[in-house]
Amino acid sequence: MNAGAEAIALVVIVMGLAQTAFNLVQLIYAGIALGTRPPVPRGATLWRRYSEQAPAISVLAPAFNEELSIVESVRSLLALQYPDFEVVVINDGSSDGTLTKLVESFGLRKVERYVDEAVEHAPVRGFYASRAIPRLLVVDKENGGKADALNAGINCSRTPLFCAIDADSILEADALLRVVRPFIDEPHLTIAAGGTIRIANGCKVDAGRITEIHLPTNFLALVQIMEYLRAFLMARLALGKMQALMVISGAFGLFDRQRVVEVGGYSRDTVGEDMELVIKLHRHMRDLGLPYRVEFIAEPVCWTECPEDIRVLSRQRARWQRGSLECFAKHKDMALNPRYGRIGMLGFGQILLVDVIGPLVEVLGYILVPLLWALGLLALPWLLAFLAVTFTLGIFVSMATLVLEEIQLRRFIRVRELVALAVIAVVENFGYRQLSNYWRLQGWWQFMRKQKGWGTMTRKGFRTG
Amino acid sequence: MSALVTLWSVSLILCLVGAVALVALIVVRIFSGRASRNRERVRRRLTPALLGGDANVEKLSGAELRFATDLALELAEFMRGTDRAELLAVAAALGVSDLLQKRARSRTAQDRLTAIEALALFDDHTGVVEQALDDSNPHVRLGAALALSARGDAPDLMTLVRKLRIGEAENSLLLVSLMSDIAACDPDAVRALLTDEAFPEAGKVAAVDALADSGYSHAPLLAELAANPRGAPDLQPRVFRALGRTGHPVSARAIEAGLASQDWRIRAASAEATGQIALRRFAEQLGGLLSDDHWWVRFRAGEALLRLGEPGNAVMNRAATGADALACRAATTLLAEKAAA
Repeated sequence: MNAGAEAIALVVIVMGLAQTAFNLVQLIYAGIALGTRPPVPRGATLWRRYSEQAPAISVLAPAFNEELSIVESVRSLLALQYPDFEVVVINDGSSDGTLTKLVESFGLRKVERYVDEAVEHAPVRGFYASRAIPRLLVVDKENGGKADALNAGINCSRTPLFCAIDADSILEADALLRVVRPFIDEPHLTIAAGGTIRIANGCKVDAGRITEIHLPTNFLALVQIMEYLRAFLMARLALGKMQALMVISGAFGLFDRQRVVEVGGYSRDTVGEDMELVIKLHRHMRDLGLPYRVEFIAEPVCWTECPEDIRVLSRQRARWQRGSLECFAKHKDMALNPRYGRIGMLGFGQILLVDVIGPLVEVLGYILVPLLWALGLLALPWLLAFLAVTFTLGIFVSMATLVLEEIQLRRFIRVRELVALAVIAVVENFGYRQLSNYWRLQGWWQFMRKQKGWGTMTRKGFRTG
Repeated sequence: MSALVTLWSVSLILCLVGAVALVALIVVRIFSGRASRNRERVRRRLTPALLGGDANVEKLSGAELRFATDLALELAEFMRGTDRAELLAVAAALGVSDLLQKRARSRTAQDRLTAIEALALFDDHTGVVEQALDDSNPHVRLGAALALSARGDAPDLMTLVRKLRIGEAENSLLLVSLMSDIAACDPDAVRALLTDEAFPEAGKVAAVDALADSGYSHAPLLAELAANPRGAPDLQPRVFRALGRTGHPVSARAIEAGLASQDWRIRAASAEATGQIALRRFAEQLGGLLSDDHWWVRFRAGEALLRLGEPGNAVMNRAATGADALACRAATTLLAEKAAA
């Protein structure tokens, strides 16, 4: 057998094993986190317990060309169960009728608003509000991207906490009451908290609320449900437990406004602005030498629509990959730097393993290992070991995540949904996983070419009841 | 080579284990589906009994008692006064309180907390709730303390401070609710914490907020704290904000000093308090803060001026036409905001 071929296979297998080992550690931590999480009361109990002391929150909802769904989304936000909150919708220079729809539907008129200038953003064209709905403020600004719009929202907010969401996502009614828990339990330490994102494709939506939970019929959407389970239930929960959480989803995160202002708000030069904000917060707090916590909580849920079209999905995945690489490159001095403790070693170690090197080595493995075996340069055990790290261990991690979900959360109502996801946990490893890695390579290519911008995300819209 | 084959074998075994676990859970789910239909039937049957107010009912056991307990707690959450008392009497007769006592010893903290909070609703189980103050889980301990204090049955504050490790391990914002309940019947105990040098700052923050909520009479103590800070920088802005909430003019001198503080958080809190207490004589000082370096100070000063009536409006109008750009912008925009509100 050829030593060179074996060396290549060894690199691929060791990388795969390292990723699997990290996944197993994450599964254990996620299990511990779920098993030892603070009691999860019903909504009514939460309200009784928290309503008097819950800090005020500004819900920041950036909107770009969302005239079809914006009114229903805002109605849903205004109906959130939380004692003290305001909804700030930021119209990010939409070229459709988003602003007009908002103005007409909520009886808004142009007003003045005294706003902070703590973080930078594109110029604001005007503010809109109504006496009848004092909780709602619409900010109309020139287009600058999501990060820019969120920065405008931060400047407009007058509360100690802000919750960043996507205007086209649906927050469960008690999501704010649930996600605020770490800020109530540890008010002096908590600077950010994220909640779970779930896929709404297939669910029935009525008046901006999920009324019936169903699995989608589209294969790509089903696979993404499995991916989101692994990402949120396993990875983020575990990294939160380890206090090494590196990203809070841009679709649902609660932040200490003052700390975010101190780091300059969202960065406008990256498509990974949500990850970069969390990294900047880690860096800031560690540079200050102050104790702090960045938490992830499994219970509060934000529902979002995922792409069902392969071209849209590929663009999204390439963009996510590019965002991770941009963040890694921008903060590379923190990577594996003991000065940044578990963030430098564990958080950045994970990004390096999973996002930076992972896709390159895995794709290399898909091409070379079977080829070298077919050419007789590698013995069968090498091929089997490669199959173990890329297929069977992948299937095990997905199934274990599903077991964790079923034991601890039981969010899939019908048995047949659980069965369908069990099948997906196996099937996704044959074809989809390889495709996903190819998209990530595209993200790498875009990063190398310093490509900017988000591309277009076409949405089908929620299935209304 | 053997290591590579072992890796393959182990991965297959792990897959098999995962698949078996999933199949087992699916089977459990099929059976639990039947149990859930049974649960709905029992709930429908028990609801009229629980709401009927007739405590002359037979004790339940097994699954029926579990369903009755969950239902009774859900209903109790929405009821108050005699309605709730009648519901709880029926629930006790059904055996709900006995099951709750068992759940109060559960290995799951979530179950213990729910049971403890529910037992506190019954009049004759406060002993169990008091025992929960020594629970290993901090959420259960705090839940028990809150439940007892809401009933007016909490032990003395120093006992709670010790058992909950207030200000050390326990810093929840819910401590404000706890201390507010205690301050309603024993304000001196809460006041004593503020003058205790050894008591941690985080606990003092809760005590300050609790005293501010419980009113006017604690303003002199808070004013004294504001005037004589005891080396707790994060506490001071809270003290000034609390002064505003008491609405007592005795704090005027402390607030005047706060408006000139080096700490922008204290200036902002003092400006807010000035508006809340309507200290009109400080309108000019507030006008000066309209050009402060910190946005929060300018905003709070402007807000306060608009609450002061005529003298405040005069200062705002002057600033709006003045040469200072920062003050002009703050005054112009806030005046326009007020006009539109």
